Amino acid sequence: MESGKMASPKSMPKDAQMMAQILKDMGITEYEPRVINQMLEFAFRYVTTILDDAKIYSSHAKKATVDADDVRLAIQCRADQSFTSPPPRDFLLDIARQRNQTPLPLIKPYSGPRLPPDRYCLTAPNYRLKSLQKKASTSAGRITVPRLSVGSVTSRPSTPTLGTPTPQTMSVSTKVGTPMSLTGQRFTVQMPASQSPAVKASIPATSAVQNVLINPSLIGSKNILITTNMVSSQNTANESSNALKRKREDDDDDDDDDDDDYDNL
Amino acid sequence: GSVAVEDQPDVSAVLSAYNQQGDPTMYEEYYSGLKHFIECSLDCHRAELSQLFYPLFVHMYLELVYNQHENEAKSFFEKFHGDQECYYQDDLRVLSSLTKKEHMKGNETMLDFRTSKFVLRISRDSYQLLKRHLQEKQNNQIWNIVQEHLYIDIFDGMPRSKQQIDAMVGSLAGEAKREANKSKVFFGLLKEPEIEVPLDDEDEEGENEEGKPKKKKPKKDSIGSKSKKQDPNAPPQNRIPLPELKDSDKLDKIMNMKETTKRVRLGPDCLPSICFYTFLNAYQGLTAVDVTDDSSLIAGGFADSTVRVWSVTPKKLRSVKQASDLSLIDKESDDVLERIMDEKTASELKILYGHSGPVYGASFSPDRNYLLSSSEDGTVRLWSLQTFTCLVGYKGHNYPVWDTQFSPYGYYFVSGGHDRVARLWATDHYQPLRIFAGHLADVNCTRFHPNSNYVATGSADRTVRLWDVLNGNCVRIFTGHKGPIHSLTFSPNGRFLATGATDGRVLLWDIGHGLMVGELKGHTDTVCSLRFSRDGEILASGSMDNTVRLWDAVKAFEDLETDDFTTATGHINLPENSQELLLGTYMTKSTPVVHLHFTRRNLVLAAGAYSPQ
Repeated sequence: MESGKMASPKSMPKDAQMMAQILKDMGITEYEPRVINQMLEFAFRYVTTILDDAKIYSSHAKKATVDADDVRLAIQCRADQSFTSPPPRDFLLDIARQRNQTPLPLIKPYSGPRLPPDRYCLTAPNYRLKSLQKKASTSAGRITVPRLSVGSVTSRPSTPTLGTPTPQTMSVSTKVGTPMSLTGQRFTVQMPASQSPAVKASIPATSAVQNVLINPSLIGSKNILITTNMVSSQNTANESSNALKRKREDDDDDDDDDDDDYDNL
Repeated sequence: GSVAVEDQPDVSAVLSAYNQQGDPTMYEEYYSGLKHFIECSLDCHRAELSQLFYPLFVHMYLELVYNQHENEAKSFFEKFHGDQECYYQDDLRVLSSLTKKEHMKGNETMLDFRTSKFVLRISRDSYQLLKRHLQEKQNNQIWNIVQEHLYIDIFDGMPRSKQQIDAMVGSLAGEAKREANKSKVFFGLLKEPEIEVPLDDEDEEGENEEGKPKKKKPKKDSIGSKSKKQDPNAPPQNRIPLPELKDSDKLDKIMNMKETTKRVRLGPDCLPSICFYTFLNAYQGLTAVDVTDDSSLIAGGFADSTVRVWSVTPKKLRSVKQASDLSLIDKESDDVLERIMDEKTASELKILYGHSGPVYGASFSPDRNYLLSSSEDGTVRLWSLQTFTCLVGYKGHNYPVWDTQFSPYGYYFVSGGHDRVARLWATDHYQPLRIFAGHLADVNCTRFHPNSNYVATGSADRTVRLWDVLNGNCVRIFTGHKGPIHSLTFSPNGRFLATGATDGRVLLWDIGHGLMVGELKGHTDTVCSLRFSRDGEILASGSMDNTVRLWDAVKAFEDLETDDFTTATGHINLPENSQELLLGTYMTKSTPVVHLHFTRRNLVLAAGAYSPQ
């Protein structure tokens, strides 16, 4: 967001200066200051992984020291695992030629929803997203225990509100308090013994989050999110990827201010 | 005689040993020599011959790197990179970081570049000049290098001016060979099916042969042609299999026709109103937007891997009841379709969970039953808008999928991603039906032609390609953008294509002739959304510079000089008329315009996320 204002060279450690220079050489001029930290962490992690692997290879080959060949081998092995690149052009042209030779299949009329065979569909999940309301739990016949629940998330239509011209879709009706952050949840499997209320989540929500009673009638589907996209730290999750969270400045519970917020935009 | 062999995909090319084209230490001399020759040539030839600099520079540099002559490569780069055209700066920056052979291995784009021939279009006179010079004995080495890496497409006629050349160059593969754009393309529209329209009170006459009440035709453009004659430019009705029209589709079409009568005719004196939907508190997480054709639903794809669907109208989103409840309703009642919907969970917003990475593409099906979303996790997901659950995950791209779109008739959809190909799928096949391979870099944008027989793809290699759905062939290659392409749109009559890229320009292309026919300058940042009005009179463009601009499309496409010469050579003199064509510029408050949509009555809906700096 903010342009990369460099800290004065004296205060930045040499590594950070070098990383800033690398970013500059690659033509990246606008970045948040924490990007340098993240890049340095990545570089450190990558190098230590490679060197660890190289040490293993070197000792396997009963060498006294780790030399360049070991490092090269380590890099090559890791590259195949993590930094794969898309297939080469000749391969793509080849499979394209094969695939494009078959004529387009005819479409059967009157066949209802046109979906692939069941085993390629996701229409029979063996899990269910837990709803927050204490409904009589109805197993739809295909659910298997245990129910997976992650730190609960309440999804609600509060934000982002669409700046529509018709007032009723403004946020007036949906000020139901700050939703919990959607990502960055740790994946925990809880036995469905207790229905933990929404608020008592395993999220270290920011201090500004207030616990407002949720008016159930205003909520749409309240689902618990099972996320597989981990975000490194709670703070970054809250800041960068939360599409619904209201601005944290609204920690006073003055709902009327929200109209003003939108006017000022 | 021809200069170089055809650019055939050669499987062994990547693996072949480097064919020693000369002493690496002499590369600087070769290049300097050529540079000197070109700079001393006649003005009329210089512009054309200067096109050689960039591809030769890159190829020679890459050869040096690939053959591990690091020092020579470095000094070669230092000496000559400053001479290149400004629009190649991004490429040069990438090149400067490729100093070792190992660096090249992971960079598929550079490898593809190295094994493809860069296409140059040069007039016969200039070519003769060049050939004569290079075939002199002392220049033989560089002649070999030229032959190995460049494809020179010769045309008869006047040498081009620098301006003409600059308009067409910029892509990673050079320009397009003239023959690449010669095959016949069926750009016409498919005939509208005959539908029995219930007669209105005012309309006693009945229908004309197309099934539309006679009074409903205010516009002159042929969305459905009135005559029974087959449009020679339209594809045969059954060229590709298309799903048959269901009853609900027919009802939709009738609604569409009714809305069409109320449509506002737009023009320079009658500009559309723009209704902007701002996504607040998205914190730069809004990565995709789509609006249904009837403008009733908006979907947003987000960086937190969710897809959110909102109802634009006061009507809430309802999902179908659970199976246990469904068994309780009376199936014979007239409003059974209403009864199966669950009122208790009705809401304006539904959130769809399932992806494991940011959602970069979203597309509603024309019948509003499905939503597609494509994500960084490499899958394209099909969601039902009746149960708001995920139905299928299509796996094929193993890398981020940047865009996806349903065909205008439903059933088929196209996706394009980081693996440099676009794939055509059908909802009932778990594997793609067609693979469109040929781009040198990521496919950023994929769009169907209105007749569903062709797919256009815009890529980070700065070319736009048009593919035939029937056999997967690339039928058009359009070069001219100087940056990765991020938006594409077809005109409603199917004849033209508008493209927008990071260079801020919108380029207009005539599909039938395969020519660039217009250039709209004005935006100062990436053009990330484009849309023609319903009858094609206005082109709206939205950009990262927080503006929406409206352009006069009628004027842009009239008076095209498409005589035999221009068609044969592909050159056209583009008038500098961007200022005249610009009808209006509308600023938003720090909101890049991610999506544009014309409602059936020609109101503009625009969407973007508020991103204060």
